[in-house]
Amino acid sequence: MTDPYKVLGVSPSATDDEVKKAYRELAKKYHPDNYADNPLADLAQEKMKEINEAYDTITRARKSGGSAGGYSGGYSQGYGGSAYQSSGYQSSGTSYAQIRQAINSGNLQYAEQLLDACPARDAEWNFLMGSLYYRKGWLDDARSFFQRAVGMDPTNGEYRQALSMVSGANSPYRQTGYGPPAQGSCDMCDMCTTMMCMNMLCGGCR
Amino acid sequence: MFGYVRPCAEELKVKEFERFRACYCGLCHELGREYGIPGRSILNYDFVFLTMLLWGGRETCDYTFRRCLPGLFRRRCVCQRAQPLTVSAGYSVILAYWKARDNEDDSRGAKRLAARAVRLFLTRGYKKAAGKYPDFDKSVSSRLAELRELERDGERSLDRSADKFAALLASASDAAEESCRQPLKSLLYHVGRIIYIADAWADLESDLKDRRYNPVAARFSLTSPQAPEEIRESVRETLMGSVSLAVAAFNLLPVSYWTPVTENIVAVGIPKMINDVLAGTFKAAGRGIPKRPSNTGRTETLK
Repeated sequence: MTDPYKVLGVSPSATDDEVKKAYRELAKKYHPDNYADNPLADLAQEKMKEINEAYDTITRARKSGGSAGGYSGGYSQGYGGSAYQSSGYQSSGTSYAQIRQAINSGNLQYAEQLLDACPARDAEWNFLMGSLYYRKGWLDDARSFFQRAVGMDPTNGEYRQALSMVSGANSPYRQTGYGPPAQGSCDMCDMCTTMMCMNMLCGGCR
Repeated sequence: MFGYVRPCAEELKVKEFERFRACYCGLCHELGREYGIPGRSILNYDFVFLTMLLWGGRETCDYTFRRCLPGLFRRRCVCQRAQPLTVSAGYSVILAYWKARDNEDDSRGAKRLAARAVRLFLTRGYKKAAGKYPDFDKSVSSRLAELRELERDGERSLDRSADKFAALLASASDAAEESCRQPLKSLLYHVGRIIYIADAWADLESDLKDRRYNPVAARFSLTSPQAPEEIRESVRETLMGSVSLAVAAFNLLPVSYWTPVTENIVAVGIPKMINDVLAGTFKAAGRGIPKRPSNTGRTETLK
């Protein structure tokens, strides 16, 4: 078995807090949300399992060794698997269910064939086309289809969620700090000034 | 379309930047050793990135001291010969040759002669490299042929044309160790997509002027290089979405000697490049040994 400390990227002499921190960081990195509809989801899941096992091994060993372990559970339920299944079939025909399954299992060619053969071009069809393209990494086409799906059926939460996912609304890489700041956002300078003002206020209260 | 993938040097530790420079120099020396002066002339940042990714699970890198023409008066620390450097050098010659051939077919008049000169200049090296890496050679030539066909038909889907270049780059993952091939393939695919689309955006003006096919112009039916704000945002979303996917793939690669540098490239360097390209402030990398950023006249790095 591989060294659990190496898996977490900490030295064996690290304190319990350091181990916990490293574990949490990695668990965040491989969180199922980051691999939703991604062909690499299986690999991420494996990695998550490895991390969980390593963390369990370390905490168990430290507990039995008399050192304070304390933390248990937490992210261990992270990969329930549900994240990769779609939330129920809202559509009528059984072939949509088939297409969903094909997309989820990564059989994209088959899914494309089925979609091409579909007579209807309704919201669900557009959504599935979008999912198919998203899985391929074709984000521009995927967004067009998701937009069309949302336009046809604005009440559907699944479609809206897909659209916001592909639009990178919560992408952590938007602001690099070196490019021009996005309009209306608070840049580091604003933040710094705010901090300074807050600091002054805190000092004044004493 | 080279030179888009590079680290954000301000965010690298000094030693990490020195390592990056040593790898750049190492690739240059490898190109010189295997393919002579034509080889050296096609050195670019993108293949330095590939070299570092092909390092795999190796946890060390050996260095040596060497001189070269631009740095004649100083012996520089460069990466010693290693298999990833050799592979990367071969791949870059193959790609440069096919790109030159493509250019030759695309252009007319004096430009065509210039492109032909480049191709002839590279032919000898190409034959050697193609003999060594026939699979990559085949993949590059067929993908570029497919891309040409799409371009000739004026393909309107940005993703469909980007897919060809992305798949071409992704096929470079075959040189990696079995265990990291899948995430590497995915990473290179998304990076290739980003390069293709960013390059299309950067070439918008010249392509429209010369009435050449431009995937961004075709996708949004643009007729003038001043793209409306919503189109810019839409391209930004597409590219940043690919960055997220590239980072997700990168995180599944084993930690290697180069991880601090490659991580910077994927998560900081590329987003910065995208911002700069979309804002029209991107400057292509100059020739020569990468320089550490100096702070004169710039305040933003201090914030």
